[in-house]
Amino acid sequence: MLASELPEIVEDDEDLARFLTSSNQFNAKMAKPGAFLPSGDDRETSVFRHGSEPRAVLWTIGDTHLAGRKFHGAAIVKARDVRAALLDVFADEPPPRHAAIRGWPWQDDAESQKAERKARAAEIANKAILFRRQENAG
Amino acid sequence: MHKAATRVAESTERSLALFGAKAAALSQLAAMAAECSEPGWDGDTAVPIDPVAVMSAEGFVRALPDDVPLPEFGPEPDGAISLDWIHSRNHLLSLSIGRSSRLAYAWLNGSDKGHGVARFDGQNVPPLILQIIKVVMRSGHAGLRVT
Repeated sequence: MLASELPEIVEDDEDLARFLTSSNQFNAKMAKPGAFLPSGDDRETSVFRHGSEPRAVLWTIGDTHLAGRKFHGAAIVKARDVRAALLDVFADEPPPRHAAIRGWPWQDDAESQKAERKARAAEIANKAILFRRQENAG
Repeated sequence: MHKAATRVAESTERSLALFGAKAAALSQLAAMAAECSEPGWDGDTAVPIDPVAVMSAEGFVRALPDDVPLPEFGPEPDGAISLDWIHSRNHLLSLSIGRSSRLAYAWLNGSDKGHGVARFDGQNVPPLILQIIKVVMRSGHAGLRVT
């Protein structure tokens, strides 16, 4: 058991929240594929093990993790949908509830690598549900 | 004579409207680049949007033929810019523009999907990309065969 009291293994039916810090990471329909691409140095995508409810807790996690940086909402996806995209998700605490999407393709050719990553990010985006934060929310 | 003049006037109106639409798109691109101009804009380790990528994306938008829908823009954590044509969550094309003339892309078209790399010479949008845009933005009514 982790410090957060969550199990060490991320189960397939767990919800994962990806916080959206740019208004251009989503539109009225969905979170865009680019919202799920990994950071270059870390080779992984940072997510939190929390669903859409309770919503106030979700936003508190975002506020804490992002250290006051404004964010616009979260895209929530099941761990099984990440794995269906031939990636995996692992618990990665601290901070509490943090997890990492890993297993992104690596290739010598940078653009071919990016194309493969975008394909997998598009599959995740296809399944993710967008939850927008009210602009006047604290 | 009158009909010809009318056609010219209509064509001019379309050009002006299109210019306005592209100008608006380029304005959105600039706003996005400004929003993501600091390291860690994603709350993590993202690098700022690359000014070279912005210039390339501007060139790409200008090169789009008049009958092709304009994209939405999105930031990517490696400093590249995503040009997205999204008809629905499973009919979309996402194209990355960074420092290279080789552009990575991925598309979903119903149960079909694909990805690849296309070269942009700065003047002409790759025909394959135009084909994919048209198909996914028609919500996949036509089949898309990409090899």
